[in-house]
Amino acid sequence: MPQMGVSVAEGTVVEWKKQVGDWIEADEIIASISTDKIDTDVESPATGRVAEIIVNVGDTVDVGVVMARIATDARPGEAHASENGDLGTGEAAAAVEAPGAAGELLGDAERDTSQAKRYSPVVMRMAAEHNIDLSQVQGTGRGGRVSKKDVLAFMEGGAEEPPMHIESPYRPDEPAIKRKPKPRLQRVEEVPKSDTVAAPSPSGGSLSRMRQAIGSRMVQSLQTAATCTTIAEADMSRIEVARKAAKMSYLPFQARATIETLLEFPHLNATLEGDQHTVHSEAVHLGIAVSLGEGGLIVPVIRDAQDLSVEGLSKRIKDLAARARTNQLTPDEVSGGTFTITNPGPFGSIMATPVINLPQVGILDTEAVVKRPVVVTDELGNDSIAIRSMTYLCMSWDHRALDGAYAAQFLSALRKKLESWPIT
Amino acid sequence: MPTMTYLQAISDAMREEMRSDERVFLMGEDIGTFGGAFKVTDGFIDEFGASRVMDTPLAESAIIGCAIGSAVEGMRPIAEMQFSDFVSCGFDQLVNVAGKTHYRMGLSVNITVRLPSGGGFSGGPFHSQNPEAWFMHAPGLKIVAPSTAEDAKGLLISAVRDPNPVLFMEHKHLYRRVKGEVPGGTYETPFTARIAREGTDLTVITYGAMVHTALEATADLDGSVEVLDLRSLVPLDEEAILNSVRKTSKVVIVDEANQMCAAGAQVSAMIAERAFEDLDGPIVRVATPDVPIPFSPTLEQAVLPQVDDVREACRELLEY
Repeated sequence: MPQMGVSVAEGTVVEWKKQVGDWIEADEIIASISTDKIDTDVESPATGRVAEIIVNVGDTVDVGVVMARIATDARPGEAHASENGDLGTGEAAAAVEAPGAAGELLGDAERDTSQAKRYSPVVMRMAAEHNIDLSQVQGTGRGGRVSKKDVLAFMEGGAEEPPMHIESPYRPDEPAIKRKPKPRLQRVEEVPKSDTVAAPSPSGGSLSRMRQAIGSRMVQSLQTAATCTTIAEADMSRIEVARKAAKMSYLPFQARATIETLLEFPHLNATLEGDQHTVHSEAVHLGIAVSLGEGGLIVPVIRDAQDLSVEGLSKRIKDLAARARTNQLTPDEVSGGTFTITNPGPFGSIMATPVINLPQVGILDTEAVVKRPVVVTDELGNDSIAIRSMTYLCMSWDHRALDGAYAAQFLSALRKKLESWPIT
Repeated sequence: MPTMTYLQAISDAMREEMRSDERVFLMGEDIGTFGGAFKVTDGFIDEFGASRVMDTPLAESAIIGCAIGSAVEGMRPIAEMQFSDFVSCGFDQLVNVAGKTHYRMGLSVNITVRLPSGGGFSGGPFHSQNPEAWFMHAPGLKIVAPSTAEDAKGLLISAVRDPNPVLFMEHKHLYRRVKGEVPGGTYETPFTARIAREGTDLTVITYGAMVHTALEATADLDGSVEVLDLRSLVPLDEEAILNSVRKTSKVVIVDEANQMCAAGAQVSAMIAERAFEDLDGPIVRVATPDVPIPFSPTLEQAVLPQVDDVREACRELLEY
C-alpha cells in the first residue's frame, strides 16, 4: 500500500485493474485504492506478470503492506499463470507496496545460476584442439562458468591426460596423440618385483632406471612364461550407448565385465610362482597399466575390484592414473595384482600381444573401438551387414597355468557380457 | 631529453617541421597575433611571419578548402579548427573534397587538420565533442589521436609528412595535464597502436584521454590488465588489437565519444568478426551515452566515462 499523502496511514482497495496472470508494464495502472475518501490509481513499480494478489477488493490495509507480487522474470507470451503454477517465486517477484520500500527489482538476483554448461568461444576451441572433456573442468567463473583460465589450469594439471579411451580413435592419417613429456618417475622400486641392478644416472645414451626395470621384467616374463595370445572380437554397441549415457570411457565397463568373467574363470585370476599356482576365486585385484609417456609404464592395482561398480571403477582408475603420473602411488598400490588390463586403444592400435605381468598368468589388452561393417543375424536367422562399434579383446596367457580352450572360453564369456550389457 | 607538456609537444612538432620544410604553414582562427585559443601557436608569428601563420576568417569551410588547394599545389598546410566541434562547418571540404581528390584525380592532398577535441572541463555541448567517428566513415581520411606528449609530437610530424589528408585529434583535457620526455628534433611515430601497459587477463582498448583513465582504473585490479592505446583510428591497427585479444580473450573498449558508431564500435565489430574463437566473454564497451555533453560539471562527470566506470567494467569482466 503506497504512501499517497503525508497524513495517510491506510488505504482500501477499490479495484484491481489486473488479475493474476496478466502482463503488466512498469507505471501501468494496476489498482485503484481509496484513501480518506479520495480514489487514487496505483502504478506498477515493475514490468512482469502479476503472480499474486494479496489484498482483496474492499480490504483496508496499512501503508507499506504488500498488496500484490509481480514476477519480473516472466516473459510476455509465456504460459498464463493459471496454466503454470510456478511463476512468481518469492525472490523474483517485485512487491507492490510503499514506494521506496518496494524499489529494487530483483531481476538480476537469479541471473547467475547455471552458467556452468555454457562455454565461451575460446573455451570451445581449446577443448576441441586439446580433446578436453569440459564436464571434467572445474569452473571458477561467474556461476561456475568454465573460463579460459580454468581450461589452461586443467591442461597444466593434466588430470585427465591422456584419455583412457577416446571416441573413434582410429585415425590412420593422424600423427600419434601429442602429450607433454612427463617427469620421469623416480620411485622405480615400486615396480613390482623389480630386480634391476643399480643403474647409472640416466645421462647420455643409457636407459633410465625405469626403462631398465621394465626391460628386465619384460624379458624375464617372456623367458619364463609360456606366453600365448588369444584374440576375440566384441561388438561394443551396447557399451557405447551405456558409456555415453554415463559420460565415461569404455575402460570401466570392460574392467567390470572382465572382473565378473574372472570370477567365473578363476584359473586366469591367479599367480604362478615356481610350481605354486595360487587361484583366487573370491577376489580380483585388478592391475591397470598406466602409461607415463616417455617416462615408462606402471601398473597400479585396484584391490578387491569385484566390490566396485562401473562408476566406482571409473573413479579408481582415474585416481590411480592421476597419482601414477604425479608420482604419488604407494608401494602397496603397485603390487599384489591377480590380473592386468592394458589399454592402448586410445592411441589408435587395434591389436597387440601383451606381455604377461608375472607372476600373474593373464593380461587382457583392450584395443581401439572402431566402426566396422559386420554380419549380424536377426531373430529370424536373416543375415545383414551392419555398421557396429567393434573391438578386439587380446589376451596373453601363460600356457604353464592353463590351456587355450580355457582362454577362449574366458574371452567368449567376456564378449557375451559386453554384448549383452544392460542399458537402462 | 626535454620534458614537455602535450601542448608543448604539439607546438614543438609544428615548429620543427616549419623550420625544416618551408612548404609547411599554418592556417586558423586567431592563431597568429593571439597565439591560438589554447596558445599552441604562441610566438609562431614572430618566428615565421604572417605569411606562414595565417589568421583566417571564422569559416572552417574556407580554411580547409584553401588548405586543400594549396596542398594540391605542393604545400603542406596545417589547418587548426579552434574546437573540433567546429569542423562540422568544413565537413563538405573534408569528406567530399579532401578525402576523394586522390581517388578522382590522382592528386595528393597533403593536409593536416588539427582538431582540439574532448571534454572534461565543462565546455558544454559545442566545445567538448569527439567527432573522430564522423570521419572514420568517410574513405580517404586518416585519423590519429595521441595520448602522450611523445606520441603527440611524433604523430603530428608523421601527419604533416603523410601525403594523405590526416585529422589530428588533440585532446584538450591533456594539453597541460600530460607531461613526458619528448625527443628533440624531428621523428615520425607510425600510425599503429601502442601497448600502454602489458597484461595477460584482459585488454582495455582505447585512445586519447581515455588511455589515462584506463591506466588509472586498472592499476590495482585483481588481474593483469593490458591497455592498448590505438593512437591511429584510420588506419586501425587490427593486428595489434587481435594479438592482444588472442592473448587475453577478454576485451573492454573505452570511448569518450558518444557510444553509437564510435571508434570502439568498429573495434568491437572487428574483434567479433576476426577473433570470435578467442573470446572468453562478451566484448564490453564503456562510452559516453548518446546525449550532448552537459555544461554542469556534475552532469558532465556523470556522462563521460570515469575511472570508476572503467574499473567496474573490468572487474565484472575479469570475474566473468
